[in-house]
Amino acid sequence: MIRIAWRSLTAHKLRTILTTLAILLGVAMISGTYVLTDQIDRGFQQIFTDAYKGTDVTVTRKQSFSGAQMANATAGLPETLVDEVKKVPGVSVAVGYVTGSGAVAVNGKVVGTGGAPTLFFSYSPDQAKLQPNTFVQGGPPTRSGEVGIIEKLAKDSRLGVGSKLQIITPAGAKTVTVSGVFTFAAQSSLGGALIIDTTLPDAQSWFDMKGRVSQIDAKAVAGVSPETLAGRVRDVVPPGVEVKTGAQAAADQTKQLSDAIGTFLKPALLSFGGIAVLVGAFIIFNAFSMTVAQRRREFAMLRALGASRRQVMVSITVEALLMGVLASLLGMLAGLGIAAAVNQLFQAMKIDIPQSGLVLAPRTIVIALVVGVLVTLLSAVIPAARATRVPPMAALQEGATLPPSRFARYSPFAAAVVAALGALFIAGGMFGPGGTTARLGTVALGAIFVFVAVAMVSKYLIRPLAGTLGWPLQKLAPVSGRLARDNSVRNPGRTAATASALMIGLGVVVFVAVFAQGLKSSFVDSIDRTVRADYIVQGQNFMPLPSDTVGRLQSVGGVSSVAGLDIQQVQVNKTMTAVSGIDPATFAPLWQFDWRGGGNDALLQELGTSKALVEEQTASSLGLKTGQDFTVTTVDGKRATLVVAGQFKDPMLLNGIVVSKAGYNAIFPKPQLYMVFVKSDAGAATPQQLTALKASLGSVPTADVKTVAEYKDSIVKQVNQLLNLLYGLLAMSVIISTFGIVNTLVLAVFERTREIGLVRAIGMSRRQVRRTVTYESVITSIIGALMGIFVGVVFAWVVSTRFAGQGITFSIPVTQLIVFVILAIIVGVIAAILPARRAARIDILEAIHYE
Amino acid sequence: MDQQTDTTVPAGGAAPTTCETGTTIGLEDAVVQARGIDKDYGRGDALVRALVAVDIDLQRGAYTAIMGPSGSGKSTLMHILAGLDRPTGGNVWIDGQEITSLKERALTQLRRDKIGFIFQTFNLLPTLNAEENIVLPLTIAGRKGDSAWIKELVDTVKLGDRLTHKPSELSGGQQQRVAVARALASRPAVLFADEPTGNLDSRTGEEVLRLLRHSRDSLGQTVVMVTHDAHAATYADRIVFLKDGAVAHDCGRLGRDEIYDVIKSLEDAG
Repeated sequence: MIRIAWRSLTAHKLRTILTTLAILLGVAMISGTYVLTDQIDRGFQQIFTDAYKGTDVTVTRKQSFSGAQMANATAGLPETLVDEVKKVPGVSVAVGYVTGSGAVAVNGKVVGTGGAPTLFFSYSPDQAKLQPNTFVQGGPPTRSGEVGIIEKLAKDSRLGVGSKLQIITPAGAKTVTVSGVFTFAAQSSLGGALIIDTTLPDAQSWFDMKGRVSQIDAKAVAGVSPETLAGRVRDVVPPGVEVKTGAQAAADQTKQLSDAIGTFLKPALLSFGGIAVLVGAFIIFNAFSMTVAQRRREFAMLRALGASRRQVMVSITVEALLMGVLASLLGMLAGLGIAAAVNQLFQAMKIDIPQSGLVLAPRTIVIALVVGVLVTLLSAVIPAARATRVPPMAALQEGATLPPSRFARYSPFAAAVVAALGALFIAGGMFGPGGTTARLGTVALGAIFVFVAVAMVSKYLIRPLAGTLGWPLQKLAPVSGRLARDNSVRNPGRTAATASALMIGLGVVVFVAVFAQGLKSSFVDSIDRTVRADYIVQGQNFMPLPSDTVGRLQSVGGVSSVAGLDIQQVQVNKTMTAVSGIDPATFAPLWQFDWRGGGNDALLQELGTSKALVEEQTASSLGLKTGQDFTVTTVDGKRATLVVAGQFKDPMLLNGIVVSKAGYNAIFPKPQLYMVFVKSDAGAATPQQLTALKASLGSVPTADVKTVAEYKDSIVKQVNQLLNLLYGLLAMSVIISTFGIVNTLVLAVFERTREIGLVRAIGMSRRQVRRTVTYESVITSIIGALMGIFVGVVFAWVVSTRFAGQGITFSIPVTQLIVFVILAIIVGVIAAILPARRAARIDILEAIHYE
Repeated sequence: MDQQTDTTVPAGGAAPTTCETGTTIGLEDAVVQARGIDKDYGRGDALVRALVAVDIDLQRGAYTAIMGPSGSGKSTLMHILAGLDRPTGGNVWIDGQEITSLKERALTQLRRDKIGFIFQTFNLLPTLNAEENIVLPLTIAGRKGDSAWIKELVDTVKLGDRLTHKPSELSGGQQQRVAVARALASRPAVLFADEPTGNLDSRTGEEVLRLLRHSRDSLGQTVVMVTHDAHAATYADRIVFLKDGAVAHDCGRLGRDEIYDVIKSLEDAG
């Protein structure tokens, strides 16, 4: 039986290749994700381990929560603590240093990092004994205004000892001189991040850390273990200070990064792989259904020769198993290829992934095999079961059809049940309790059920849809159009399953497009409704702006009001949220609050240092009511009590908690300016004023000055960029469904060999035959697109409704949808190329004698 | 019938004297026995009685042909005798075992052990070569098979040089010879052949018929053949004529002309 299965696979090479590809690509995406994220994990683990190799003990301020990516938020430790640590018995070296994030500009142009941070470290001679900085050119900074730069920056920007560059920190922009070039932990870059070494006093002044340090690293004398030393240091430091061994610090930082990857990047990539696998499952189901129908006589003969139902089942299952194993193994290799390609792509985009080589963990192998084999087997089970129902008698009969499944008449009912289950899961995921990941998983499962249900009912829609879609084709080419129309309804179940594979990929694409459209329009609406300013200033890559930005903008002529927005992350009732600090006097004319819960404009002036305004959604998720006291905890563990003075609705722009600048300063150690709003005397933005505003910030190349209209455009552009990325990831699913159409057509052409010979014999041209196949393909792909659009729009509507409170509106991007239909037509035409050629090449004489 | 009839039997007359109706043989000799076989299709007005109270015994080691006009029920009868189809009423015994009440699993076992098939359209597995097709029943049954026997079969069907060929590389006659060898491979109690020459030209058909005859003469194989080809039927030891779902004549060996006479008499009577 195994041999029969193997022979059957090798005898139908094209079918086997197409079906294998269908599952292979999904497996490749999944294993590629694991390879890639493992590689990043291991790379960073390597870097952190190297970075702390010479460090036995680290001392930092205890962070009350993690996840806030704000290197400049913490107040750090008093510099005097360095001497205390030095005095601890067993310490050979102890160094206190300041770290912070900012940006670097060369010739007035900000050096891009592809989203990675530009990190500043103060550097003192003692650090050489602890840290893996190796100067390959020049030496460490010794005077104010000198910096050491990491090799990657030197190479990419052609800098050397003595070169000038600009650094941008919260203290503003400064021109500095390169004193040396170094490698860090033997890496020329740190995952794309740039590293700048400065003197301690410079770092302290630039990052508002006078008399303080961010971290103290210590090395033990010989004979004292890191654990022992950590214990001794712990005894001398004040509360709120955290002491770790170097190894622990490395592990913690690695874990923090892995978690960041594990909670976003990995699940996101895996979902796209999952969608691709689901599409593959449909194609396998369809391919097996078709071949089982074609091989009906073969199974009947086997049964007549004494094969049991079980043996027939085993034979097909083994075939699926072999295919699954083959696809999984090849998929895994392809996954390695994808990871390698992504590496190249990242490098081309100047985003460095630490070079640790490709990591193929045993877990990746197991998952790839399990997913590939299981999905293939599950998809083949129903067709295999149907094959066992072929009676041995069928071997003696001509033209009998495959017996319908015992459950065929229940299928509309079953579809309804599956759809109901799907709806239940989606509702449960959206409204039910549980963590975000679990809820998203539930929604995804529900979506799969809905897709399957739609696929199940779609066979009843094929006839009317194909009839309608075929009509214009029939007008275009009477004979080919007519035949294509008839052919596509001959086996509605098959056309439906083929179209369904395309439906899934396109359904998700449409969902994303519609949802993004809603997001864009609600963002734009939100700005139109609330922002009374004419210009918006923001740092590139959401980098904080120097704190003197507001003052510089105020000095520009014709400006009536300038207000900044300082933002910090805090925890309230164990939930992270943001606190924004505003200057009530300047902010009020720039912002139209949508007051709720007793809020009004007068409140702004009464904020003082203890009152807060809370956004409606934030208030409800934190369980806060107007008039209620609540406590915010900063990342440094500092607590402050505020009272809810009023509420407003603004889910898009200013969500979280709003306090006065005075209130902000009372809670947080440092400014962190994210946005500045500017209002013109003229009542509207003018090009001259825009130029003047830009000129006032000319020395700060990270500051982006935009008119409000430009700002809206840039947001829309950002969403579009993200959309394009998602479309790219979803393209795989569409490609896989194209294989499905090819597969179906090839088999259909094979089945109709005799018929095609006949129509050719009575005068149909090759061109007409090709057209017939192409039209059938296009009818199928348009049906898939229409189903996908239907499902995608409904999903988007459901989700938009759910998140209406967060300001997401529902709006249909009609042009986009038309583009998708055109895309589907192109997919149909491409899928038909090979099958149409095969059909046109059929030899007439052979075909009509064909048994 | 384009055959010139120079028969001694008067038109519309009785069958040759070698024919009796409703002959049964001693039970101990019968490998297949059927009693009171009815087969109905449809119901009500659309009821078709394909077989009506058929009794038939097939002697072990005999070569029996079943003939009859289209719609006489000859194929249905063979399907039922072979356990491929279930009768509406009546019983069938194969090698002493009653089969109409057997469950699917037992029927499968029966097909494996007792029955060999030859189909009109050969029905070889296109992906397996000739030799693999021949031993397929053994493979299915999970048996190794008797290699001497297989070799003997291969010699008998004269396929020694074609064993590694795929069915698509064999002529129709060669394919059917493979099918004959396949049917004999498991030494079935009875070999059923459904129009075995229907898809062959007369020369290759002749080879297959000789082969079936040989399997009966040299190997003692019981053969049941459904055919409408009078020439094919001349190879049989016994010819059973069906008409309207019942046995019309049960004859011994007949020549071709005698067969035509019987057919003609059946047609005339209808």
